[in-house]
Amino acid sequence: MNQEDWLDQQLREAAPYIDDDGFTARVLQQLPPPRRSHDLLRATILFGMTLLASVLAYVVSGGGRFVNMTVERLAALPALWVFALALATGLVIAAAGATAAITNGRALET
Amino acid sequence: MELTDADLVARVLVDDDQHAFGELVRRHQSAVRGLLRQLTRTDVALADDLAQQTFLRAYKNIRSFRGEARFSTWLYRIAYNCFREDARRRKELVGIDEEQLQTQHDPQVADPGLRHDLMRALSLLPLNERSAVLLCCQNGLSHEEAARVLEIPLGTVKTNVLRGREKLKRMLADWGPN
Repeated sequence: MNQEDWLDQQLREAAPYIDDDGFTARVLQQLPPPRRSHDLLRATILFGMTLLASVLAYVVSGGGRFVNMTVERLAALPALWVFALALATGLVIAAAGATAAITNGRALET
Repeated sequence: MELTDADLVARVLVDDDQHAFGELVRRHQSAVRGLLRQLTRTDVALADDLAQQTFLRAYKNIRSFRGEARFSTWLYRIAYNCFREDARRRKELVGIDEEQLQTQHDPQVADPGLRHDLMRALSLLPLNERSAVLLCCQNGLSHEEAARVLEIPLGTVKTNVLRGREKLKRMLADWGPN
């Protein structure tokens, strides 16, 4: 072994592993508090916008008269049509839920 | 499967995951504290204070870590900056000239342990040579990485490593292989 290799080896060996001994815990204690999650803000905005849109729709539609009209039309429909409409709506909602679940599952895997 | 440093950094960036940052601290604390102990001439308390500052600064500035270098190299750079700023504040003498080096080295009174002599010899090197030798020879950084950490030209790093090694070899001549 030449002197340079010997010196490098001595230098490496002179740097033993230093036990953590509470160092990491002390660092973590001094970290600033974590950022507040954006989820709460997002939910608040969505809820507020939905509420605003509902109020606007109610006012613009003349006190929600269209709801009464739609219910009356639905009541006048044949029972088979109501059943078909309910089935189609259920299928659309189920498909949307399944898509969202699959997307979230993939995101969690990655 | 163990997460890589890059994975942990990504978790800190995306979720502000402090547990992930804790794992990064656990992985690198020994190397960073070791380097700072050598730079501060084995002042353990000061070195640990600077190491804490290093990790806090790393956490606050983690967005500036672009993954071009190894995470450890990035940490060394922050550690070295912390040390340099502290040394400036303390107006510490950052180098010892050759004459002083010769007069302080007396093998007759030295501790017989090679490790002790090596530590003492290292502490007698001027800061620029000491830091270059520590990064390249002890911590295994390439000259290019050390140049980035120390923010000096590549040629200067090579010169400092060469000079530092020569001095160490002279000071440890009694111990070296024949």
